[in-house]
Amino acid sequence: MLEGLLVDLVPYGKAFTDLEHKWRNNDSSFFGSGGDRYFATRAMVRRHMERWAEERERGADDDVAFGIRTKDGEPIGFIGINWMVPYHRLAMLGAKIGEPEYWGGGYGTDALLLLLEYAFDWLDIHKAWLMTTTMNRRVMRQMEKVGFTLEAQQRRAALADGVWYDWLAYGLLREEWPGRAAVIERIGLRAREEV
Amino acid sequence: MIEGKLVDLVPFEDDFAIHMETWMNEEAWFRARLWERREPHTEDDVKKFIEKMEKSERGALIGFQSKDGDPIGGVIFDHEWQRVRKADAMFFAGDTRYEGTDEHLDGLLMLLRYCFETRNLHRLDASALAFDEVRIDLLRRAGFVHEGTLRQHIRYDGDYVDVEMFGILAEDWPGYEQKVAALDLQPSGIEPKPKPEKKDDKETEAGEAKS
Repeated sequence: MLEGLLVDLVPYGKAFTDLEHKWRNNDSSFFGSGGDRYFATRAMVRRHMERWAEERERGADDDVAFGIRTKDGEPIGFIGINWMVPYHRLAMLGAKIGEPEYWGGGYGTDALLLLLEYAFDWLDIHKAWLMTTTMNRRVMRQMEKVGFTLEAQQRRAALADGVWYDWLAYGLLREEWPGRAAVIERIGLRAREEV
Repeated sequence: MIEGKLVDLVPFEDDFAIHMETWMNEEAWFRARLWERREPHTEDDVKKFIEKMEKSERGALIGFQSKDGDPIGGVIFDHEWQRVRKADAMFFAGDTRYEGTDEHLDGLLMLLRYCFETRNLHRLDASALAFDEVRIDLLRRAGFVHEGTLRQHIRYDGDYVDVEMFGILAEDWPGYEQKVAALDLQPSGIEPKPKPEKKDDKETEAGEAKS
């Protein structure tokens, strides 16, 4: 388990996979996919999770999946490395807060900082990168805040509700990563006070 | 077949495949397939690659040849995304004598023609290693727009190298005929390769005679 201030990163087990059906059919997947609207039945989601488990059993090691859990123990989303390229020491990250009431509260940022620390300090990657779209303003702000650089903007590459948006590529090099504590200090991320 | 000014697009049959083991071990191949791991490609790897592309529902490997039928290389569209009508564009001059020639450029133009005018795509993505001036020049001349630089993205011969990202939209594409007229493509005059003998011809014939 990786312990953060607002969330912990834990294995992506049953508590999370049980929520996949809900998360795939709500707005978190709409933003994550760049504008797709899924109509995912429970059977489709189950088959998808089975395929994922089979690949892992076959020894596929190009991804790492964490569940994001609040300090109260509530599973709220996924974060991980979706595509790891060992010979380039390159990790493409992906995340989804499946419960929209947790958007904008620092939960995703806390999870991202834990993941970056894990990727740089344990997996010894050279660069972390990810892609989002211009409709995802929250993630764009988060990227700037955490210290990623906007590296590429693919024009009209995403379609959402009939409107064209751009896909954006953000990157963070190892030498630009000051460590988790330094970023937490700079952006002023705090644990929620006990009530 | 789709006929172009200097090259034609044709199915990637045995007359191309027979060169592929050489082509897939050339430096130009590794530059074109910049994401992939640097490793030697055996005959079996080559066969698997061609089969994978043949089976793909989201892409294809297409041969391009000179007007006298000399196989030059391949063009690939891959990861076609139906909802957004976009795909990754890849092209290579396997016969490196054609590297950077107008035939090489025409191969790329023919890929754009096919993707925009036949497959009705909206957008194509392409990328190049930052030092690969030949590829970058071809992409620019074909009408691709530079959309950014992925910094230190690819490990290449002891260094992390930037990747230049390009994109072209259907609205950027004036149409093949207009594009070719504007570029004034000229044949390079490269002599066609001698046709290699097919390895299995004799065995196959003998086998057929028996049956």
